[in-house]
Amino acid sequence: MVLQLKKISKNFDAVQALDEVDFHIGKGEIHGLLGENGAGKTTLMNILAGTFPPNKGTIIIDGKVIEKMTPKKAMNLKIRFIHQELNLCNDLKVYQNMFLGEELYTKYHFVDEKSEIIRAQKVLDSMKSHIKATDKVESLATADKQLVEIAKSLLFNSELIIMDEPTTALNNTEIEELFDIMRTLQKSGVSFIYISHKMPEIFEICNKYTVLRDGKFIASGDIKDIDVHKATNLLIGHSLLEIDEHFIKKSHQGPEVFLSVKGLSGKGFQDISFDVHKGEVLIVTGLQGSGCAELAMSLFGAGAIKEGTIMVKGQLMKNNNIKDAMKNGIGMIPKNRKERGILPDLSIKDNMSLAYYTVKHHKLFIDEKEEDERFFRQQEKMNIKVGSQNNVITSLSGGNQQKVIFGKWFELDSDVMIMDNPTQGIDVGSKFSIYEIIADLAKSGKALIVFTNEYPEIHRIADNILVLYKGFINGRLSRSEMSEIAIMEYSTGTRGEK
Amino acid sequence: MEIKKTWSNIITNQSHWVSFVLLLVVATIVNPSFVSWSNLSNLFTQGAIIGFCSMGMSLVISAGMIDLSTGSVVALIAGLCVNVLNTTHSILLCLLFCIVGGIIVGLINGVLVTKGKIAPFIVTLAAMSAWRSVINQLGQGGPFSVDKTMYTSFRNIAAGKVFGIPNLMIYLIIISLITSVIMNKTKFGTYVYAVGSNENAARLSGINVDKIKNLIFTYAGLMYGLAAFLLASRLTSIQAASAGTGYEMNAIAAVAIGGTAMEGGRGKIIGTFLGILILRIITTVLIMANVPPFLNGLVQGIIIIIAVLAQTKRKK
Repeated sequence: MVLQLKKISKNFDAVQALDEVDFHIGKGEIHGLLGENGAGKTTLMNILAGTFPPNKGTIIIDGKVIEKMTPKKAMNLKIRFIHQELNLCNDLKVYQNMFLGEELYTKYHFVDEKSEIIRAQKVLDSMKSHIKATDKVESLATADKQLVEIAKSLLFNSELIIMDEPTTALNNTEIEELFDIMRTLQKSGVSFIYISHKMPEIFEICNKYTVLRDGKFIASGDIKDIDVHKATNLLIGHSLLEIDEHFIKKSHQGPEVFLSVKGLSGKGFQDISFDVHKGEVLIVTGLQGSGCAELAMSLFGAGAIKEGTIMVKGQLMKNNNIKDAMKNGIGMIPKNRKERGILPDLSIKDNMSLAYYTVKHHKLFIDEKEEDERFFRQQEKMNIKVGSQNNVITSLSGGNQQKVIFGKWFELDSDVMIMDNPTQGIDVGSKFSIYEIIADLAKSGKALIVFTNEYPEIHRIADNILVLYKGFINGRLSRSEMSEIAIMEYSTGTRGEK
Repeated sequence: MEIKKTWSNIITNQSHWVSFVLLLVVATIVNPSFVSWSNLSNLFTQGAIIGFCSMGMSLVISAGMIDLSTGSVVALIAGLCVNVLNTTHSILLCLLFCIVGGIIVGLINGVLVTKGKIAPFIVTLAAMSAWRSVINQLGQGGPFSVDKTMYTSFRNIAAGKVFGIPNLMIYLIIISLITSVIMNKTKFGTYVYAVGSNENAARLSGINVDKIKNLIFTYAGLMYGLAAFLLASRLTSIQAASAGTGYEMNAIAAVAIGGTAMEGGRGKIIGTFLGILILRIITTVLIMANVPPFLNGLVQGIIIIIAVLAQTKRKK
């Protein structure tokens, strides 16, 4: 199959996700699609697979313009999209999943289970997997589920297979097996679009590449013409938020250790050890699936811990639960403000008082006056713009909502603040005021752990940086050693301790 | 422009007041003598026992859950408390039994929801069937009747009056005030709305969500226990098979009419209080208009749908 995407544009409300992007892939090509989080890779693939239509642009397959692509049409054109998150029905058997929506029928119009099982097993065996077609998907390991997804795409002799981060759940042997299967299929003329954040994989399996950045086409060509460092440079380019090279960050780091983590392992991260000092801003960064999100939750007692210890100011945290973490002086600004941060039906004032209630409020009744004072105190500190503190929190802009959530934790006066993507989804102006708040916190002697992927942000606030890759700490950088290239290379496994 | 805004604000946010006044007007048109002391105090007397149940239901729904066991729990405790009264001849012990019994039954619902991780709908559906069956078996088809010796003093609790004001009216007003204070003036009240609004965010604020849910079901159970006590006093004879049937429907209707969001997070106790009265007015108007009593359920079903539709329309 020869596929051409021409000048594809797509916007979601005000956000321009894709801006006149071109893409070309030929027969038997394994084409690496590169870009940072939010560069538009998945959006482009969703348009190709018919999940949603583009605002502008054309899809041309084997010289024919395809009008109004739908998932069904894409399937008939032998295009398969294996999504990052698995799309299997756990309660059905492997073969039922593989034939879902494409069932074979007997002449009496019953489902022809026998033929389905035989055909499914044939494909599974050809992949050298030990999976039985009659296994229940529920009983499979995550890696095997991934293989079922791939088997599903092989079943119908697909000519173009799109893989979005297919290796996140696989170990090295399984990755090698997957690559073997891909190479065999490549020889028989099947093309692949391969999306991954892991540079070593791209350079091992792909023969072509295309780079997207901020929804725009950046570069395309043969993998043999570039190296990992060139690729990383293309990936980063110049970011939207300008980096002020002359900006000098004052360090407020003291000698006192506020938080000490030793050998911490849990779901998605392993053997994490680090110290955070009084007045220090520690950045933890890593690409999607690197374990950052899970680590953030576990530090706050909201995620399971298998091994390791967390000490707060020399005191061992005994119970792994949220209230204990709060009592020990850890505060948390969670990511995804909408899902985890705000209580949409409650007033601004109530949203701000909640954390205080759970740890410090011991009186029988609530004192409205005290609540108002609490709000006004934080409002003055952070310049929160509201009509009335009794309005619901959803009446505020994203930046002001986030400030309310900050205020909620300031009232507890926690010594250690964990912030998971604190500037997610807020406008540039508000971002800067949040950086100022972070700097003020450090100055006042708090220890801060900020999880973020945005380099301009890191550049602005970091004292020290941890880079996670596949759940491990792959790089430790001090402010003087940090650069966008270094962080990206550690995040993609191009450089590393392991 | 501003005035228009204020008006639409009042109509959307105080819809329970608006519909209450509108209904009073309608009732007066149907029967000009409707607004009389005896009629109005009747609304309270007839609504009080359901009113207690609605207070419990208010908390459950505000936290984004549901309780279908109301009627069966009321029947169970009402029936048994008659036995307690007949054996001990102590009204105080009978009341104590209702309180403790209600709390235990409510806590069972709560623990099954939180520790068993079963949806409230399923837990309380099972409880509805189970408790009704238990009280039917214990009653063996016959009623639980208060002995002659205790009859007058026990009946007086619900049927009595103070200065011409029916006792039930006083109880309903007191329990509504207490529930309103709990929901507006304590942190527990804020937690209930918080859990109903966004469970994840509530948990990440340090709220023990399971504990709150257990407390909510316990409070609901306590309300059902008190309702059972009043029902036993009012009727002095509890039919195991029919006592309390449809109470959950009435309670849910009162809460919905009162403007509490069915998905949780938003609601006012004063709304539920008015919701109870509105339901009673509608029933009375239907009787005055000679609508066959069998159609009461139909009207109630329609009212719940209209109340919830009005809520979703408002959200958009």
